[in-house]
Amino acid sequence: MDSSAWGLLIQGAWTTLWISGISIAIGVVMGLLIALLRVAKIPVLHQLLGVYISLARATPLVTLVLFIFLTAPTMGVNLNRNVAGIIALTLNTTAFNAEIWRSAFNNFSKEQREAALAIGMTPWVYFRRIMLPQITITSLPGLVNEMSFLIKGSPAIAVIGVVDLTRVTNRISAVTYDPLPPILAAAVLYMLIISLLVWLQRLAERKASRLAV
Amino acid sequence: MPETAAVSIRNLSKSFDGTEVLRDVSLEVQPGEVVSILGSSGSGKSTLLRCINWLEQPDRGDIRIAGDRIGVSDTGKPMSRRELAGMRARLGMVFQGFNLWPHLSVLRNVTEAPIHVQGLSKAEADERAMALLEKVGMADKREQYPYTLSGGQKQRVAIARALAMQPKVMLFDEPTSALDPELVGEVLGVIKDLSKEGYTMVLVTHEMEFARAVSDQVVFLDKGIIIEKSHPSEFFENPKTDRVRRFLELEAPAV
Ligand SMILES: Nc1ncnc2c1ncn2[C@@H]1O[C@H](COP(=O)(O)OP(=O)(O)O)[C@@H](O)[C@H]1O
Ligand SMILES: [Mg+2]
Repeated sequence: MDSSAWGLLIQGAWTTLWISGISIAIGVVMGLLIALLRVAKIPVLHQLLGVYISLARATPLVTLVLFIFLTAPTMGVNLNRNVAGIIALTLNTTAFNAEIWRSAFNNFSKEQREAALAIGMTPWVYFRRIMLPQITITSLPGLVNEMSFLIKGSPAIAVIGVVDLTRVTNRISAVTYDPLPPILAAAVLYMLIISLLVWLQRLAERKASRLAV
Repeated sequence: MPETAAVSIRNLSKSFDGTEVLRDVSLEVQPGEVVSILGSSGSGKSTLLRCINWLEQPDRGDIRIAGDRIGVSDTGKPMSRRELAGMRARLGMVFQGFNLWPHLSVLRNVTEAPIHVQGLSKAEADERAMALLEKVGMADKREQYPYTLSGGQKQRVAIARALAMQPKVMLFDEPTSALDPELVGEVLGVIKDLSKEGYTMVLVTHEMEFARAVSDQVVFLDKGIIIEKSHPSEFFENPKTDRVRRFLELEAPAV
């Protein structure tokens, strides 16, 4: 592999990173909002969100990516490939994150809530100051785990022509006629990204275990 | 004019799933008074205490804190969350299980509500908190996190946390029941100090000797009904009912 091949590879890695990164950032926050709405058990909305979560979790990413990319124009929206990819990845990861947040909500200690209300906190102050900081830490291992799933699933966006870290290996071998080196190099880059996340997850788990006492 | 009662409970009833847990309970706590609530397990002591700060909503009756009704606004409608929070801020509660916030240090557990509920500056809140931690003997542990503390230490921090809101009344729900026997004394010592300083307190406890020593009034609950309400010397030496006599024989065998 020459330097131009490496350049392409790095570009592909960057595409994977920023598209996944944006999806993850939106997905973590949206997951929290959906979990909040679900915990509030607002009729109809509760069921609708439940259906969304089941569907999004059951649908293969590739299918979801194609579905978004192909149905948007029929509804009069012209999506650029990258945006379609981000929407699909976000819809997928949000559903998983919503369940992670929700289980943290449901497992949160009733005693701490009573201490907060008894001392004169409104439910909002309680949520912001007592609950959120703790469920963020306890959810982090699960959230980070989901992040690495998303990154490993992200080559799905190649089906609509986004040149990500996986797809770019095709491009390189089309010129060099030697597919193995770029694929190995891509694998190494994926491992680097994932191991960074795994390291973050360890850190999060250590913090979380301290809160459990 | 008679002084307004610190806590006034009138004709309070409360059921859980159709079972009446409190039945027509009335009780007045005067400012500066210490009232102990005794009774066997399941008699409704916790529920009574938790109705006072509206952690449980009574089915009937009304509860006033220094003359102001809790839970129900002047218009007769349920209080808004903000109004209710304002009323609860006037009551300090200490739980059997401490219920400290594990993500905050000892000092921040105590300053959390003064800063984020009362709007004190950090400096003011720190000063107030340090004085209270000093009082409960936990000042040197201010930077530690709850998981590093013993039960007795946690409970003393929890007391300081409640006091930091400068409540009109302190409510204690079996504050020493979760403690190893050797740690009970340090917590009771703090509560005793508070009684000497004139704090108004309602205390649920199984520590008979202690109740006798600190209380101005002892209330006995049996199946959700107050069956005796008297001065501690009267209560412990001359119980009016067989029920209380049997209870005292079991809980405080004659020494
Ligand atoms: N949240 C609740 N839901 C249903 N039943 C409850 C609840 N809280 C208390 N009870 C019941 O009410 C009765 C009185 O409980 P409690 O006030 O905790 O008694 P005590 O503190 O005197 O032991 C018990 O039978 C208990 O099981
Ligand atoms: Mg109890």
